[in-house]
Amino acid sequence: MRNKWAGKAAAVSLILSAGLLLLAGRFLAGGFHMFDREKIISPFPLLKLLPGEIAGWTASVEDQVFDRDNIFDYMDGAGENYLAFDFQLLFVREYAKPDSPSIVVEIYQMGSSGDAFGVFTQDTDGEEVDCGQDAIYAAGLLRFWKDTVFVRILADKETPEAKSAVMKIGGAIAAAIPGVGKRPQLISVLPAEGLKSKSLRYFHTLISLNVHYYLVNANILNLSPETQVAMARYQKDGSQAYLLLVGYRSAERAYDAYGRFVEMFLLERFVPDVQVQPKKLENGKFAGIVRKGQYLIIVLDADTESLLEWLVKQASMNL
Amino acid sequence: MRKKKNGSLVTRRDFIKGAAMGALGIALYGKEKQLFAASGGQFEPVAAGNPQSTVVLIRNEKAVGAGDRIDAAVVREMIDTALAEFSGEKDAAKAWARFIKPDDTVGVKFTRCEWMRVHTEQPVIDAIIKRVGEVGVSKDRIFAQDGGLPVTKCTALINVPSVKVHTLTGIAVSLKNYINFSAQPSKYHALSANLGEIFLLPEVKGKTRLIVVDMLRPYFGPGPQINPLHRWNYCGIMVATDPVAVDTVCLKICQAKRNLFKGEEWPLSPPPDSIYSADKNYKLGTSDPARIKLVKLGWEKDILL
Repeated sequence: MRNKWAGKAAAVSLILSAGLLLLAGRFLAGGFHMFDREKIISPFPLLKLLPGEIAGWTASVEDQVFDRDNIFDYMDGAGENYLAFDFQLLFVREYAKPDSPSIVVEIYQMGSSGDAFGVFTQDTDGEEVDCGQDAIYAAGLLRFWKDTVFVRILADKETPEAKSAVMKIGGAIAAAIPGVGKRPQLISVLPAEGLKSKSLRYFHTLISLNVHYYLVNANILNLSPETQVAMARYQKDGSQAYLLLVGYRSAERAYDAYGRFVEMFLLERFVPDVQVQPKKLENGKFAGIVRKGQYLIIVLDADTESLLEWLVKQASMNL
Repeated sequence: MRKKKNGSLVTRRDFIKGAAMGALGIALYGKEKQLFAASGGQFEPVAAGNPQSTVVLIRNEKAVGAGDRIDAAVVREMIDTALAEFSGEKDAAKAWARFIKPDDTVGVKFTRCEWMRVHTEQPVIDAIIKRVGEVGVSKDRIFAQDGGLPVTKCTALINVPSVKVHTLTGIAVSLKNYINFSAQPSKYHALSANLGEIFLLPEVKGKTRLIVVDMLRPYFGPGPQINPLHRWNYCGIMVATDPVAVDTVCLKICQAKRNLFKGEEWPLSPPPDSIYSADKNYKLGTSDPARIKLVKLGWEKDILL
C-alpha cells in the first residue's frame, strides 16, 4: 500500500491554496504586519460565508489569522501540537452577546484531509454529533473536520442557547466547505473487530505519540513529518491492547526503526532476518513488532499473547 | 528483569530513561502502598533539602458556585486558614509576615493563558496582593503578573499557579509556572526534565517565599486546548514552600481524576519528568511521597488522595 492519502482537489481547496500562495508572497515581500489585514484575510473564502451574526451573537473583536510562523502568538506553549501536522493557517473569530457566554471559532486550514482528520482524532471525548465528516460536542465545545479543514468552536460557558448557537455556526461552516476529504488510507489497515472507536488516533511525530502513549524518552521509531501513524486500542474476549501501525517512506527506514525498537524497547539483540518473538514485559503485558515492507505493526500492553498475535495477523492481512 | 532497591521492578521506560522518573514513576504509575506521610502533629515550614516537606491542602465546596463563579470571600478565608496552618501563626497578618517583609519587592507570579483558559483565578491573586500589602509592602513594589514580571527587581516571589495537565510537559503547576522567567521558554517544552533549572537562574534563585496553588478548577485532559469535559471543580487551595512536593501532590490528584473519568487507568502522558528531575538533579524539594507531610483541611468529598 502506498501512502497516498491527500484529499481530492476540491474547488475550495484550490481557492484556499491560492490564498495561501498569496499569503506566502506577502511574507516574502515584507512581512505580515506591514500589510492591510483585510487583504491578508480576504483570500480565506470561508470568512465570507461565516455569519456576522447568529442567534444574537455578533462578531465582537477583530478577526485574527495565524500561520506556522506565528501560531505561538495565539497558543504559546501548544503550537507544537499543530506544527506536528501539516498546519497551514488558523482563522479566529470571537462572537459575543450581552449576558451570554462568548463563543470563539477557530478554523484550521490543514495541508491535507488526512491531517485535518488527524488533528480531529487528538481528543475524542464527548458526544458524537452530525456536523462535517466527523464531529464531537462536549459541554460547549464542538470539534469537527471536513475536507482539509478542522474546526473548533467553544462557548465560554455551556447554556442551551450557547449550545444552539455553537451548532448553528458549525453547521454554517460545514455547509460552506463543499469538498469531502479522504481519511488516511493507513487507518483502514486497523482491524475493525474489537477496535475501541474513540481511541483511534492518526498522527506523524513523536510529540503526538507522547500525548497518547509514552513509549520511551527517545525517538526510537524515527517518527517524523514523513511518517504516518495509526493507533488504536482494542478489546477482545476480555483482553485489551494497543496497536500501532507506522508507515515509512521506504522499507529501509522501517527496517531501521524495527531494529531500534527491538534493541531499545524489547531489549533483545537485533538479528537480521530473524523475526523477534513477542515478549512479556515487567508489567505482565505483552509487546511485539513485525515489519512488513515499509510498515511496522507494533502491539503494546497486550493482556494476552493470543490477542497480540491476533492483532498482528489481522493487520498484516490488511496491508 | 532487574529489581529496584525497594523491591519494585525496573520498568522498560526506566531502563531507557536511566535515572529519570525512578521512585516517582513507581509511586505514580504503580500501585503504591502509602502515598503521603501521615498528617497531623507539629511541623515547621521547610525549605528544599529538608527531610520532610509540608503541603497544606484546603478545600471548600462553596469556593466555586453556580456558573463556576468564584466566591472571593471564601477564597480569601481558605488562603488565610491554609497559611495559618502552614506557618503555625493563627493571625493572618503574622502568618504572612513570616514570609514577606515590608521592605520586600514582591512578584506575584500567576498563570494567565488566554487560549487555554485555565488561569489562576483573579480572587486568588487579589487575596494575595491584599495580604502582601497589609504586611507593609507598598503597591508600587508589588508586581502581580504572568508574562513580563520584573523578576530581577523582586526580592521575594510568590508562586501562584493554576493546575493543568499539559501535552508537552506532562503537568503544569509550580515548576512550569516559572517557565517564562527563562529567555528561552520553548526549550523546556519538548523534553521538560530541565524545568527545575529555571529556579536556579541568578534572578530567581532563593526568592520564592511561598507557593499558593489555585486548585479551584484544575484541568486533567490531554489538551493541547481545553475540552470543558476535562475540567472539574475541585475547590481547593494548596500552600507550601516546596515546588516539587506541590507538583507531586497535584500530579497524584490529576492522575486519580483521569482514571476516574475513564473508568480505567489513563496514564498521564508524557510523564512529568521535570518533577523527579527537580528533586534529584536540582535539589528543589522532594518528590518522594513518603517525605511529604500532607495536611488536609476542610471539605473531604472526592479529595482523590
